[in-house]
Amino acid sequence: MKRWMMVVMSVVLVMAVGFGLVAKPFVIAFMPGIADPFYFTMEKGAKAMAAQLGPDKVQLIVGQYPATWGPDAQVPLLDALMARGDIDLLFTAPTSTQALIPVLKKYHDRGIPIITVDTYLGDGDYTKASDYSFPLSYIGTDNKLGGEVVAAQLAVLLGGTGKVFLENTNPDTSSVMDRERGFRQGLLGFPQMELVGVEYCLDNQETAQAQVANALQLHDDLAGVFGVNVFSAQGAHAAVAAAGLSGVVKVGTWDATATLIEALKNGEVDFILAQKPGEMGSLCVQWGYEYLASGKTLSVPRKIVPGFFVFTKDNVNSPDSQQYIYSK
Amino acid sequence: MVIMSAAGEVRSRRVLARVGRSWALLALLLMLLVFSLAGKEFLSLANYSNILLASVTLFLLAAGETFVVVSGGIDLSIGFVMGLVCVTSAIVMRDLNAAGASQLICVSAGATVGLVLSLIPGAINGLLITRFRVPPFIATLGMWGIANGLAWLFSGGLPIAFLPSAVHKIGRAYVGYYSTKAGFSFAPPQLTTREDILSVVKIIPVPVLIVAICLVVLGFVLARTRFGRHTYAIGGKMDAAVRAGIDVRRHLLKVYVLSSFCAGCAGVILVFLSNAGSLTQFTSNYELLSIASVVIGGASLTGGRGSIWGTVTGVLLIGTLNNGLMMMGLQIFYRFIAIGIILIGAVLIDRSFPELLYED
Repeated sequence: MKRWMMVVMSVVLVMAVGFGLVAKPFVIAFMPGIADPFYFTMEKGAKAMAAQLGPDKVQLIVGQYPATWGPDAQVPLLDALMARGDIDLLFTAPTSTQALIPVLKKYHDRGIPIITVDTYLGDGDYTKASDYSFPLSYIGTDNKLGGEVVAAQLAVLLGGTGKVFLENTNPDTSSVMDRERGFRQGLLGFPQMELVGVEYCLDNQETAQAQVANALQLHDDLAGVFGVNVFSAQGAHAAVAAAGLSGVVKVGTWDATATLIEALKNGEVDFILAQKPGEMGSLCVQWGYEYLASGKTLSVPRKIVPGFFVFTKDNVNSPDSQQYIYSK
Repeated sequence: MVIMSAAGEVRSRRVLARVGRSWALLALLLMLLVFSLAGKEFLSLANYSNILLASVTLFLLAAGETFVVVSGGIDLSIGFVMGLVCVTSAIVMRDLNAAGASQLICVSAGATVGLVLSLIPGAINGLLITRFRVPPFIATLGMWGIANGLAWLFSGGLPIAFLPSAVHKIGRAYVGYYSTKAGFSFAPPQLTTREDILSVVKIIPVPVLIVAICLVVLGFVLARTRFGRHTYAIGGKMDAAVRAGIDVRRHLLKVYVLSSFCAGCAGVILVFLSNAGSLTQFTSNYELLSIASVVIGGASLTGGRGSIWGTVTGVLLIGTLNNGLMMMGLQIFYRFIAIGIILIGAVLIDRSFPELLYED
């Protein structure tokens, strides 16, 4: 009798799955850009959203983290991920605006929708038809807007007046050049503030340090420096500290890595503009799930921009802020 | 009459030869003059300190490279060996600091580990070149990649921070300070207003002093010791060196280890200077700038000629050019072009008047 019952139940279960009565979770895959705290934080945000939706709704798969930045490392990992064959949607940070188009197109052609996160294909505008406009959406920071926020924050610290210097890194990288454009744009709103120089350190901290030391030498009334990434910022605050001017010359920077947060706590950096990688990951899973659940009919915005968080010495220790520090 | 004019000609040729040999020094002096007149804020003690501080690592890298070039070889790996040592030293200092070790132990253990580590790439380069007859260009190019890959692996591509506070105190220290408000002191005076801070006269950065001592020692070794004479002999004529009974293999091995060790010293000093462990970026071109400094300083890439003094002039020329052009408002790209032109000029002078420059 018992055995008979079990057979009936099994048959019912198999039929239920077959007819889709028991929901199979959607498989959403994540391929990060590089193994670093920024993407670790993004993964945490994505996992939190997947847990919130429930394991019966979403199963999150994280691909192997590329060891270096670039298509050479990322494309083979994307190919390996596709070989699983059970992925319903992919969100990834393409490490090249051009070189990642073919492999992601392969995904798309297999009916797997793509969301690009943090970085984009082509010029990132998926609204007009092009060979790279197939992704569902770009979810990531607007670097130009961030540059404007930094300019405004520096203006607040300096009372809207004074000479500022921009320590940039590679002039061939779209994100940091957008930050520069935004910074210049933002400064236009403060006529008393003057951008006295822009330098490129090519991601070499030693160079950044020498360049900012020179800027301090050239302008003994320099009031503020914006270092656009971790290398420029480290060099900038080391130069300011070496001149004994920490706190006198305000240093603003980008990305809440543990290193820069420590420098902020030590008073060598005055504020940090943090992106919200956790929120990016969370938004990818949320929009991805809703799109899949709608039977791929939902109209997803082609560009979604999460906000920023500005760390200062006043809020860096508060419990609410800790979630925005990039961490493993 | 005839004798007089012949003597005069000899004398004028001597003068020309002297000028020709020290053209880099003359160019440096000329450059200092031009920048002092043209560039705002160039002519000041603080700015000369900046030039020297920005050249600290290049001084050491180029000094080590001088030995290799004089011996007739080339070492392309030094820039990345520096990065590898910088990252490793910083990791040791960070981890010991986190484990609660005293500052002295953190700093000295980190520096020692870095310096010992720096012997390994040099030994491998030397063995490949002397035992397995791999051309120096290829052997050190291989190490160029290996050292850089390891540095990326150890650091994860990000600067190593959270170092003990002694690190930046040493790296930013000067031998002495003088200000009208605080008088003379060996410790940095505690001042708060910008005017007071800027009015402090800072005398000789400590890292520059350390590097200067290293350069004097290296200069002495190359110019005045048997080790130095053998290096010139091997670079000048390998066969003659062998016939003279010099153990060429063993000597070249030592030369490559020395070059790598100099890069290690640069890496350790870089930890103190930047208060972080940074790997060397591909765009930094330290090895190329070092070779350029050596050549500008009068060394020949075919070996047998060159000096630490000449190399120091070459590094100062590049450092001054970098600094002066920036003070004039020209960006980094123009500086690459300027250094390229000077390098080509150096080789052209060398090639055009060899009989004049090296007749004795």
